[in-house]
Amino acid sequence: MSNRVGNEGMIQLTCPADLRYRDVAVRAVAEACRLVSRSRYAHGSQESAVSSQPLDLSDRFAAEVVSAVSEIFNNIAIHGYRGEGSGDVTLELRIRGDCLVILISDEGSAFDPSQVPLPELDALPEGGMGIHIARACMDELDYTPGPPNVWRLIKYTSGFGRRQRHASSPI
Amino acid sequence: MLLKLAGSLDALTAPELLPTIDRLVDERRTRITVQLEGLDLIDSSGVAAIVALYKRTRSNGGRVTVTGARDQPLAIFKLLRMDRVFAL
Repeated sequence: MSNRVGNEGMIQLTCPADLRYRDVAVRAVAEACRLVSRSRYAHGSQESAVSSQPLDLSDRFAAEVVSAVSEIFNNIAIHGYRGEGSGDVTLELRIRGDCLVILISDEGSAFDPSQVPLPELDALPEGGMGIHIARACMDELDYTPGPPNVWRLIKYTSGFGRRQRHASSPI
Repeated sequence: MLLKLAGSLDALTAPELLPTIDRLVDERRTRITVQLEGLDLIDSSGVAAIVALYKRTRSNGGRVTVTGARDQPLAIFKLLRMDRVFAL
């Protein structure tokens, strides 16, 4: 489902919180990233939002946003619903001129992301990297426990928010 | 031994790789090259699978080399500071 409010385009997608559906969410997010890029470079363009191209993550903006959403989707499917695929996840993609805002909501178990420790990268960890990746890839990321639990992710096209927020190594 | 990975290596597909990793370790392979030219997307689960192969092979006295990472996968390895470990 999609609609438009003022200059903001919105895409909403609900799918089972099952890893088999993650690719659908990833592709919607990648397309939303392309729309943000188009609004940045081609105001007033009549380009179609429909693309038949394969998943292309050569663009840094799309690569970072897709990386973050992938980890959040994993977290909801594996931990929130304990891998049972018993609930839904809803993505709301708000396409603005200077940023992409993503709300990801679910009805699974809540958790406290502030309690997730930073991974010991020098020890070559085999787990506990997902939230770190999501945080480092977005300019803003916060979480409100529910139900529904809601993740809010923001990525600016200028990278301004990243510089303001923290000094994590950019991709 | 050359291991070519393509498409997505993620929470859904990484478990499919684990039997191959077990076999390579059981065979005590000491020179393994993981080729990622065809890999479009990796997540933390995919990284964990490659790290597991690296660590287990190293504990056997072997070595794993990762080549050809590009775009999103390369960015993730850099973010996790593994580009230096794998000489990417």
